[in-house]
Amino acid sequence: MQENSTAGNGTNGAGQPAVHTEGLWKIYPQEPRPVEAVRGVDIEVSAGEFVAMAGPSGSGKTTVLNLLGGLTRPSRGRVWIAGREISELPDKELAKVRLSRIGFVFQSYNLLPVLTAAENAEFTMLLQGLPARERRERVRRLFAEIGLEGLEDRMPPKLSGGQQQRVAVARAVLAEPALVLADEPTANLDSTMAEALLDVMEKLNREKGTTFVFSTHDPRVMERAGRLIRLVDGRVEG
Amino acid sequence: MVRLPTLTWLALRNLGREMRRSALTAAAMAMGLALLIFSRTLANGMHEDWIDSGVGLGSGHVTFHAPGYRDSESLDDRMSAAQVAASLAAVAKAEVPEPALASVRVATRGLASSPEGALPAFIIGVDPTTELAFSKLGEEVVDGRYLEDGDRLHAFLGQALAERLGVRTGSRMVLTAQAAPGDIEGQLVRVVGTYRTGIDALDQTLIHIPLGTARSWLGVEGATAVAVFLPHSSYTDPVLEEARAEVSGAGVEVVGWPETSPDLYSALKLDDGGDWAFHVILFAIVALAILNAIFISVLHRKRELGLLRALGLSGRETGLVVYIEGILLTFASGIVGVGVGLAVVYLFLRDGLDMSGLMPSDLNFGGIAFDPVMVPVIEAKPVIQSVVMTALIGLSAALYPAWHAARLDPAETVKVD
Repeated sequence: MQENSTAGNGTNGAGQPAVHTEGLWKIYPQEPRPVEAVRGVDIEVSAGEFVAMAGPSGSGKTTVLNLLGGLTRPSRGRVWIAGREISELPDKELAKVRLSRIGFVFQSYNLLPVLTAAENAEFTMLLQGLPARERRERVRRLFAEIGLEGLEDRMPPKLSGGQQQRVAVARAVLAEPALVLADEPTANLDSTMAEALLDVMEKLNREKGTTFVFSTHDPRVMERAGRLIRLVDGRVEG
Repeated sequence: MVRLPTLTWLALRNLGREMRRSALTAAAMAMGLALLIFSRTLANGMHEDWIDSGVGLGSGHVTFHAPGYRDSESLDDRMSAAQVAASLAAVAKAEVPEPALASVRVATRGLASSPEGALPAFIIGVDPTTELAFSKLGEEVVDGRYLEDGDRLHAFLGQALAERLGVRTGSRMVLTAQAAPGDIEGQLVRVVGTYRTGIDALDQTLIHIPLGTARSWLGVEGATAVAVFLPHSSYTDPVLEEARAEVSGAGVEVVGWPETSPDLYSALKLDDGGDWAFHVILFAIVALAILNAIFISVLHRKRELGLLRALGLSGRETGLVVYIEGILLTFASGIVGVGVGLAVVYLFLRDGLDMSGLMPSDLNFGGIAFDPVMVPVIEAKPVIQSVVMTALIGLSAALYPAWHAARLDPAETVKVD
């Protein structure tokens, strides 16, 4: 594992990093004084990297991931995803970027409860307008690879926590984004399930070259990361 | 929008998941619509009944008379025989599905006298056969019979007036009025029957006598009015327009029942106003129920809606999912509401809704005797209006929850508590 406190140095296939930030700040207006959740973060993640973002609770991990994913806008600074600056994009354009370039895995409540496992996995591709046959074929193949075969028609409540997270990972990678952001994806899983989920993520990173950036405070998870970015009090440490 | 089918599919799944809540929300709207349809068709039937009753006892749906007669009610302002003929010709040309009935009338105010006294009376000379098909008086006989062809010196009067004059069927009495030449003339008549409408203004004053008798007694060749009874009140305006064009050169004035029966018209408007106020209150409640149900459902699904944003839907599209749910609920409610509403109307189509337990049997207002049995009448317009109103309410009530969903902060909503 390589530990790097600031930026990586790789680029994606088109010569652009998967994600790149410059002087990223997030300040929440609050009384009696504003909260500085993220303070001047500079990050660069190359295409194909498997990066963990570690730090104690309140260090700003989730806020940084939200900024990288365009779920929230920076107070200052800029974010590029696969070479495209997203910091000031209008809502509609930002949604397009999320759809085409970013996959998300959250800590829990990751799946749409009204859709089956396969429909959840297909959902992003459906929004992208991929033909049904191609969507189903991709889901079939990936489900077989990550141990979800036979669970295609299960509704989320009928899946274990680990299975739900694997479906979420499948949904995130199937649309072939430039970047998958995972916010403490193993936090609600027992150690066996957490290991299994990391195996899946690593496999996808290794075999498909999917770039992962995930937050964690679990030392066992940090050990599996290709590179570790440590956050303390909203700053990259080191 | 390319993703509309996907958003609709998702909205349908959401409604299906919360089937009980969706069904209850849709039921509130459907019941509101059904109630609205029933209430509108009942009001329709009731109003048509009032108009029928009002025009049947009064001047018909459309009335031809000489200019000035409506103000003076004097024989000086009567129609000539030629004007009467022109009026009847205009009625014959009226484009209505069933032939319109035209009653030639000679009316005057005068006195009815008997050995017990004299009382003011409104005396109308009528053609008995035409009038029987036209006027409600023939249906309200208390004693004796209505006038018949061949009657000459006969009269049909209100039971209240007969009692006050101390006359009954077979009795004789004298009618006195100013004739056309200006002299006061008397006419001896025999009572053939009495009626009771429940409307004091009629029962205590109105007397029908044969048209020929009235003409010869009052020295009139033409008539004071030609009253026209149409198959339905909705034909009034078109017939009025046609008739005015037909008799424009004949010096005849043509007016509709709202002008000849202003009290009836006001009563209808008042009732309509009350109905609308009731409907507005009803639908404000329904709208709040829908808004509440959809809004709570949005609040319960904040995380899901945030997830949709993270997966690539814009705020507008996320709001649209919620709005489509509102549209689908409204659509389903519309179908169910129309079905239930028409089914309820069908139940009361034959025998009507009997309200006699809730209102006195002789209730009358503005020249209308209220029938306690209300029979609904189905017409496309009020049903369509009701559906449109429900759709507007449903679609408006879904706007705020949709707007709220569109403005949710995705970063906040996907947070783990």
